[in-house]
Amino acid sequence: MEILPRFDVLRPASLAAAIEARRRCAASRFIAGGTDLMVNLRHGLGAPETLIDLRHIAELRLLSKENGGITIGAAVTLAELAANPAIGCDYPAIAAAARAVGAPAHREAATLGGNLCLDTRCLFYNRSAWWREANGFCLKHQGETCHVAPTGKRCHAAYSGDLAPALLVYDATIEIAGRAGTRRIPLADLYAEDGAAHLRLAPDEVLVRIHLPAAPWPAAYAKARARGAIDFPQAGVAVALRAEAGWITGLRVAFTGTNARPFLLAGVAALENTRIDAAWRDRLTKLVQKQVSPMRTTLLAAQYRRRVASALAQRLAAALAGMGAENHGSV
Amino acid sequence: MIAPRNTRAIVGQPTPLIDGIEKVMGTAKYTADLPAADALVGRILRSPVSHARIRAIKTEAARALPGVRAVITGADCAATYGVLPIAMNEYPLARDTVRYRGEPLAAVAAMDAETADAALKLIRCEFDTLPAYYTADAARAPDAVALHADKPGNIERAVHHRFGDVEAGFAQADLVREHVYTCAEVAHAQMERNAALVEYDPARDHLTIWSTTQVPYYVHLMLARCLEMEASRIRVVKPFVGGGFGARVETLNFEIIAALLARAAGGKVFLSLSREETFLTHRGRPETKIHIKLGMTRDGRLTACAAEVVQRGGAYAGYGIITILYAGALLQGLYDLPAIAYDGVRVYANLPPCGAMRGHGSVDVRFAFESLLDGMARELGLDPFAVRRANLLAAPTETLNGLRIESYGLGECLDWVERASLWRDRRGRLGPGRGLGMACSHYVSGAAKPIHWTGEPHAVVHLRLDFDGGVTLLTGAADIGQGSSTVMAQAAAETLGIHLDRVRVVAADSMLTPKDNGSYSSRVTFMVGNATIDAARALRAHLVAAAAERLGVVETEIEHENETFFAAGGDGPALSFAAVAQAALAREGGAITTKGSFTCPVEFQGGKHKGGAVGATMGFSYAAQVVEVAVDHETGLVAVEKVWVAQDCGFAINPLAVEGQIQGAVWMGMGQAIGEETRYEQGLAVHGSFLDYRVPTIIESPPIALHIVESLDPNGPFGAKEASEGALAGFLPALTNAIADALGLEIDTLPVTPDRILEALAQRQRAERLAKIREEVA
Amino acid sequence: MERDQRSPRAKIRAFRLNGRAREILVADSRLLIDTLRETLGLTGTKHGCDGGECGACTVLIDGRPRLACLTRTEECEGHDVETIEGFAEQGRMSRLQRAFHERLGTQCGYCTPGMILAAEGLLRRDPAPDAAAIRAALAGNLCRCTGYVKIIEAVADAARGVP
Repeated sequence: MEILPRFDVLRPASLAAAIEARRRCAASRFIAGGTDLMVNLRHGLGAPETLIDLRHIAELRLLSKENGGITIGAAVTLAELAANPAIGCDYPAIAAAARAVGAPAHREAATLGGNLCLDTRCLFYNRSAWWREANGFCLKHQGETCHVAPTGKRCHAAYSGDLAPALLVYDATIEIAGRAGTRRIPLADLYAEDGAAHLRLAPDEVLVRIHLPAAPWPAAYAKARARGAIDFPQAGVAVALRAEAGWITGLRVAFTGTNARPFLLAGVAALENTRIDAAWRDRLTKLVQKQVSPMRTTLLAAQYRRRVASALAQRLAAALAGMGAENHGSV
Repeated sequence: MIAPRNTRAIVGQPTPLIDGIEKVMGTAKYTADLPAADALVGRILRSPVSHARIRAIKTEAARALPGVRAVITGADCAATYGVLPIAMNEYPLARDTVRYRGEPLAAVAAMDAETADAALKLIRCEFDTLPAYYTADAARAPDAVALHADKPGNIERAVHHRFGDVEAGFAQADLVREHVYTCAEVAHAQMERNAALVEYDPARDHLTIWSTTQVPYYVHLMLARCLEMEASRIRVVKPFVGGGFGARVETLNFEIIAALLARAAGGKVFLSLSREETFLTHRGRPETKIHIKLGMTRDGRLTACAAEVVQRGGAYAGYGIITILYAGALLQGLYDLPAIAYDGVRVYANLPPCGAMRGHGSVDVRFAFESLLDGMARELGLDPFAVRRANLLAAPTETLNGLRIESYGLGECLDWVERASLWRDRRGRLGPGRGLGMACSHYVSGAAKPIHWTGEPHAVVHLRLDFDGGVTLLTGAADIGQGSSTVMAQAAAETLGIHLDRVRVVAADSMLTPKDNGSYSSRVTFMVGNATIDAARALRAHLVAAAAERLGVVETEIEHENETFFAAGGDGPALSFAAVAQAALAREGGAITTKGSFTCPVEFQGGKHKGGAVGATMGFSYAAQVVEVAVDHETGLVAVEKVWVAQDCGFAINPLAVEGQIQGAVWMGMGQAIGEETRYEQGLAVHGSFLDYRVPTIIESPPIALHIVESLDPNGPFGAKEASEGALAGFLPALTNAIADALGLEIDTLPVTPDRILEALAQRQRAERLAKIREEVA
Repeated sequence: MERDQRSPRAKIRAFRLNGRAREILVADSRLLIDTLRETLGLTGTKHGCDGGECGACTVLIDGRPRLACLTRTEECEGHDVETIEGFAEQGRMSRLQRAFHERLGTQCGYCTPGMILAAEGLLRRDPAPDAAAIRAALAGNLCRCTGYVKIIEAVADAARGVP
């Protein structure tokens, strides 16, 4: 049985104080809801001496409409997101993704920033200390071999946050604060395809807020999982689609759970300015198949996650284009 | 004024559990809730390797760590433990050889958890590794090293049973089909993690254990054996227990380890296992491969059955021999089968040991049987209900293998689920991806022959009446949430004609309560229920004698109900229960204690063939169910929309609890069918959490409509039989039969996870394409 | 004032527990479940898993469901914490407790406190939930005994004020 390492918690009231605290304590980590980090700490995945709780910084808790778009503080909880009328009305894929996370008690604690910065997950990583030691540890933590692909030199742990794809298809940008100041980047640029280092954040950088542009395209999120709750996504898909009388004028597709990072499907321009038909579906499937790369990081077959990723993408696209009826059931 | 006589004032009435209030108030004390602030913290060091000779376990550094009070290893216990006296081959802490990853190697007791964890890290183990086997096939390979020297080929037990003329049976059949089915290993996943609190008194050499067990008596026996203590120096108490389902029907290593630690430390030790460790302790249903062959006439009559069953049992014996015998024995007792051949093999492998799990032995074989039966019905164009009805038994009867059947309500179960599900109107008309399936199942009401044959009755209950007018019922039976204490209280109150709340149950404390074999094989209602009635009748005799004396009539004229005693027929005076109780106490010279017992007669204890006792029982429960599914062919998700189940439980002493048990059993079958499975990476359990072992959530759990059939078993208490296990097995084939109806896909491997569904659909598509190409070529 | 975990890092934290203001000395890394069970003796909040997977430790913080096994005690500072022990009204069962008892929404009882707390959180927001809302609110609370059927009935009954 594992016990939590002893640590202190700091509650900075400002971003500057948080960043300064992080600089002062080398063995520190930022934390918000803790629904993932506390479990990992109980498993011996890290032993910080100090946790810096970001939820006492007022600006991180704000959710505001501005210039037609919406700005969401990184410490807004998933329960707040799921219940927010403006989000539910204009950005339904975000509300759907928030509702798909864990279970109600998780969503009360978990934050948007925490979900976006979620650690990657793997069959060989999210384990007890005894288990990992018996298995010779792994490339992501304390070990040398990736048990998913032992001949390779890269960690294949999968990013499994639900919110990122929904934000990606709304073309979200994020604001990051650090010692050097503040930078604003597309959300997609936060991530790298490396399970052991999937976040492009300096140690003292904090994800502050997320900006969603105005006039979003219709979008939806769907999550493949074995159970109706608690589970992380085996594959999660968000699609934003703009259509005029069945004619697709804009398309964005994003995935989670299949790769070390959430990502926007590249090459979708070729699927625009056309109608959805069988050939279109085949082209979408080919595009998805080429870019998702689920590995053996969960107990369901990797091949399944590949199949269901394209199936859900097709289903969402058809539903958004108003062609849901022929798609056998609900999304 | 005397109310009209109602002989069923208490039994047969839906009754909330007598210990339910503590559960909803949060005051129920489970093992981990007992006061243990002064206890040392126990921790177990578990093997990182699958199979090895232990060269050394070095504990000096751990012992030297301040705050450490005891460190024990296999060297501290030379006695084995287990279930059957002939197959106790497990040590609480591995000695010489370790046989699975997660097997306990050493344990510490320390001042606090941090010190205990630090001590574990200081223990050094040296191994000489041996080849390890994770499948039954690998373990049975000709050159495989034996896990246990006395079991060459790693075969724990091979069973070969023949009843009737199997060859002739197949020859008479119009259709003979065979198929291989595979069921993944599953686990009980009871919500309460395993834990034990042990207090050792060195001055008196007395030991008390509170543990998460279904079998306090077996724990008592194994502690006496492993600690080499006289049983009278040990006290076993079962507090509230958070579910069992068979996980706790044998003494488990952590219980013995906690006791060894407490004695070594000379004090109190609390040993609480993590969820992962609870999974590693295991004792679940083994991975099972079933090659089954059935013969059937054109009108659906079964002519013969041949089954070859291979169970991968894990590293130690446990209940293994019984499980492999059950798998064969319970092919029978459900339908009229004229001939049966059964060949079962229980195989050792380097994995956590399997054991008994709800529906013990019967579930996977029933899945295979009912699946093939349905497939053959389709081939012959017969309705699934018609095929079952063509093979019904008629009670009383005896099966080929000597199982006695005195009551049989399967026909009524079939009628109800067929009607309630609107089977005839809806089957085949639900639209694409949707289907209905059905199946039947059964289970024993207690193993008729106890494991430890001591010559004592199979169940004993004490009742005590004292000055306060309260009736105290003392039973060793372990209530683990199934509601056994409530059933006993109802049986006593009914027999005595008193209010339920006058009965208080003291259960499962070896210092106070008579021995009971434990809560397994659904034996408690039947056996302890009968013993309770026996004890209550004895107490009633005292009360009747006292009432007769007071009323000046003969005892045979005394009637009683609703806490009132009066002379039959007359409108003479009536005596209150309190007055009669006081008279009886005066007459008997103080507090009255009566004893009741129950023993299954020899003729119910099974056939004369080797292993014939397993499967024998005094009464079988019967269940039929219909399952409605919707399968998403793009995500592979199988949604169970609704279940209709009917079960013959003889008589429902507590219909509320019977409903709960049937719903729970069906649902647990659903878990096994749609998603639960243990998984190992080179013998390392990767299912050791509730994320990876997918117990269904409330979201995907369907409404379950049910009907209780009461066949009134002649030997059951008030006619009751078991109610907790019989409906489980039927769910599995009812689900796959429904999928066959929905998709035309005959699933032979469980669980039907979404990846397996999509793979099966992809395979079918490939096969169809290939067939089309071949057709074009031709 | 109770002392929870001797540690140089322990700090005094004030919060309201089942309606009563408390101050305890507690280390920052101490989980709420351990403070409740070990320091305060409130053992109705259960450990079922190794962190965040089963819901047996569900409590209410400011009326919203939270997992005591993932929540640090220090996070509760200044907040209202409610556990199963706070629900009996002068020793009498609350409507949910009575419904769970009488409808057999509890068998072994181990998941019951968490289940009741999650249901209470729901009924405060939605006094008349339908079955779908009940399922959604209890989605993180595993039960191994009941198949959930009678749990849903119990919550629905409690909401309707039956019996």
